[in-house]
Amino acid sequence: MLVRRLLYLLREAVANVLTNRTTTVVAVATTAFTFACVGVFLLLYVNLKAMAASLEQDIQVMVYVQDDLPESARGEIEVQLRADRAVRSLSYVSKERALADFQAQFPSESRLLQGLGQNPLPASFVVTLAADSRSAEAMRRWATRTQLIPGVGQVQYNQEWVEALAGIVRYIEVAAIIVGVILSAASVTIIANTIRLALYSRREEIEILGLIGASATFIRVPYVLEGAALGLCGSALSLVILKAGFELFRHEIHSATRFLGVDALLTFFSLDMCAVLVFVGLFLGCAGSVLSLLRVGEGRA
Amino acid sequence: MIQLFHVSKYYDRRPALSDVTLEIEKGEFVLLMGPSGAGKSTLLKLLIGAERPEEGQILIQGRSLAKLRASEIPVLRRKVGVVLQDFRLLPKKTVFDNVSLPLLVQGASTPDIRRKVTEALRSVGLDHKKDLFPPGLSTGEQQRVCIARAIVNGPIMLLADEPTGNLDPDLTREIIELFKAINARGTTIIVATHDPNVLAQVNRRVITLEHGKVVAREQVCS
Repeated sequence: MLVRRLLYLLREAVANVLTNRTTTVVAVATTAFTFACVGVFLLLYVNLKAMAASLEQDIQVMVYVQDDLPESARGEIEVQLRADRAVRSLSYVSKERALADFQAQFPSESRLLQGLGQNPLPASFVVTLAADSRSAEAMRRWATRTQLIPGVGQVQYNQEWVEALAGIVRYIEVAAIIVGVILSAASVTIIANTIRLALYSRREEIEILGLIGASATFIRVPYVLEGAALGLCGSALSLVILKAGFELFRHEIHSATRFLGVDALLTFFSLDMCAVLVFVGLFLGCAGSVLSLLRVGEGRA
Repeated sequence: MIQLFHVSKYYDRRPALSDVTLEIEKGEFVLLMGPSGAGKSTLLKLLIGAERPEEGQILIQGRSLAKLRASEIPVLRRKVGVVLQDFRLLPKKTVFDNVSLPLLVQGASTPDIRRKVTEALRSVGLDHKKDLFPPGLSTGEQQRVCIARAIVNGPIMLLADEPTGNLDPDLTREIIELFKAINARGTTIIVATHDPNVLAQVNRRVITLEHGKVVAREQVCS
């Protein structure tokens, strides 16, 4: 008997959708558009965050050692660095190697150094930090600490770049949350209005169901299902729109030689994330329905 | 079975029912007579919990309606069949589906639904029209479908609000005979009407309302 009731409720939900076809299509399209707007921010956030993580991974800290440091002192610095849990790997670059690298990278400038008569470049340790120590704040703390090791001249990393990127990601995160909340509220309102129209167009039927003893749940379930379906379709359609837009954007970036290689860094939402977004749509759809149904009295005709 | 004690109901401070006290026994057939606005429909609405009285108390089978929680009202309504002047059938559902609705909301099994709907339709003489849609039926047939829907789950009482308001005298007679047959099976019936044709055919207890007050109680023996 439960199956029959469920089938009835499902049939009613489908009938609701079919009865208000135009309203349903408009609601799904508007919901999809609002979800897609949120999605753009989310995509931007996800990609910038991934990019920031990738850049953080590439960031190497240069720990310069003082000139004329005895070999034993250099070895002591290396031992201390290797013992540091924040250090993932390190390599030593001698003064000679630094000069050779400079000459290889900037051949036209190498004559300047030759004029000085001696090698001005310091020896250094090139340090890659562990993943949990790559945030701007952690790097700053580590650099300050390392600077205090005897024999260390200077600790350098691209601090501004790391901090600027972290700042941008934070702003995007806040913007995504604000836009997400506003547009989610808009989606809930759109769905609530659609359900309100459905309730209005079927008010007589609702009254009859109330008269014959249908419980409030029995009356409400088809409308909650309808709201859920609207939210689900809207969010799924928004993902399709976003994916199409994303691929178009990636194609454009790929064609533009200025951004060579950037397109490979761009990523769309993972399958898990897509599932979460669809579920959020479904949830917001239910919320919209419930909002409208609160007006239907507890089983009263 | 139904007891009203000093029941009053107001709409915009105007009394729709005023200090009504009455008792209806199990298995009775009662006519609520009176002109439009006398309070007949209000009284029926009170009996199904669609409205609550401002004053007084209503007991159905000894249970006070005032003490019913909102979630218990549907349970009460499953024991009460309602027939309305405008039928209130769902036009996009077949006769069978319309009649099966009360059983469906109760969670009856499919074989039960099939059996009881067929029985109800047979008792109103419409079992051969179960697959038709209400707009394809005559007004008399639509009212009979409405009656079948009201009796399909074996209610303890049947409330009819102007059930013959849209019917000609022949169809009125037909519907009243149906009510009598249902009453003969033990169902309490309360018919609110201002139609003298109904009074002439029923010859049972008559309660007359005017301006929300009971002005006459007659026991007419058939």
